[in-house]
Amino acid sequence: VTVSADTVITDLGADDHACLTFGEREELLDLTAAFVRDGLAAGLRVVLVTQTPGQAVTRLARRGMAAEAAAADGQLVVTDGQDGLLAGSAFSAGHAMGWLRDELALSLRRGHAGLRVALDMGWALQPMTGIEELPALEEMIAAAVGGASLSALCAYDRDRFDPVTLASVTPWHSHSVAAPTYHADPVLRICRQYVPPGIRLAGELDFVAAESLAVALGEAIRMEGDVTVNMAALRFIDRSCARMIIDAARSLGDDRAVVLVCHPEVRGVFAHLDAASLPRLSLVTADDW
Amino acid sequence: MTGDAFRPGPAGPGGLGDRAVPAGAAPILDQPFDSGTLYALRAAVQAHASQAGMPADRAGDMVLALHELAANAIRHGAGRGRLRMWHVAGTLSCEVLDDGAPDPDGRAGPGGPVKDPWPALYGHGLWLVRQVADRLELLSSPRGTRALVSFTLPPRDR
Repeated sequence: VTVSADTVITDLGADDHACLTFGEREELLDLTAAFVRDGLAAGLRVVLVTQTPGQAVTRLARRGMAAEAAAADGQLVVTDGQDGLLAGSAFSAGHAMGWLRDELALSLRRGHAGLRVALDMGWALQPMTGIEELPALEEMIAAAVGGASLSALCAYDRDRFDPVTLASVTPWHSHSVAAPTYHADPVLRICRQYVPPGIRLAGELDFVAAESLAVALGEAIRMEGDVTVNMAALRFIDRSCARMIIDAARSLGDDRAVVLVCHPEVRGVFAHLDAASLPRLSLVTADDW
Repeated sequence: MTGDAFRPGPAGPGGLGDRAVPAGAAPILDQPFDSGTLYALRAAVQAHASQAGMPADRAGDMVLALHELAANAIRHGAGRGRLRMWHVAGTLSCEVLDDGAPDPDGRAGPGGPVKDPWPALYGHGLWLVRQVADRLELLSSPRGTRALVSFTLPPRDR
């Protein structure tokens, strides 16, 4: 298996086995949302294994997806994996693979074109017997995806999984996915956001990174539709960068809206600059996101 | 927008210096900055404001205001500067110098041209500082601009 680095998540097909090593929760949520959205749109049944199953459908819906309807008719299944992928608090690669095969068979019986599984691998950080078989599961999935209408996205938190574990599991994936990144240093990260389309800012943003912000905003503007600037993980923005975002919003046509998602401290800077007076701009509190 | 000369010690009657920063008061923060250390400067301001009892929203205002003053020093002044903060009489007073060294007399010399002042147009950095600070005074000299900005602590913490 060859890992092709930094595949765009929207390019994944119906029999790909992709690995996402994420550094921020918003990155996990966004790329997972894109994977789920495209799977549902392709007529696949989608199983989302997450550590927060109770909030997942709501989070997807807030991002503009018809997640409630898909969950209601069974095309989208959200689970914490406890009674399927796992057998209680024990893990076995064979049991997990059996669960996956059963889910695939169920998907095909119900008339779906296949199964797409999004796995937040955070469960593997819990104390659990058999966890040493994790690379074996990834190897089994790698063998199973080819031509079987099964695709999987395995998401690993790069800060919580140790490098040895990551090194043992990532080579079994056919693709490594990552959001296009415009700026990344210890203080600031600027990435493309897929669901809803726009950009995502994390850390602290000031005029020193204005050039990166300009490139990211320019690309978001050139795409069609509304633009979301997700600042849920942004702790600080200065006047000049807030002004750039407002000017970008002002440059859009009357048929396109801009949504700014932010916490109160960042929202305050936009409020000082009277951003709310722009008719097509809305400020959304990050807690509601 | 030019205020009285500010000196960290006795100043003229009514001058900002003698009200906000008495002679001999030691700063609780004294930190140089340039474009590569603004993150550390903001973190230091946040920590000292919180430690002094500033409510979270006003501490955020302080961080924003002092960042904007430092940004002006970097972008319109010497490219670097120095921030000092004093905690005196229920007020956090801060001085931002854009030349990295205190100006001993605080005024332009007889033949010395005053540098272009920092922009204070609507929506610019100084305008924003005036929106959030309790007091702002500026002095431009041939050696740069110095700004004194103050934030009043809530009564229970004085």
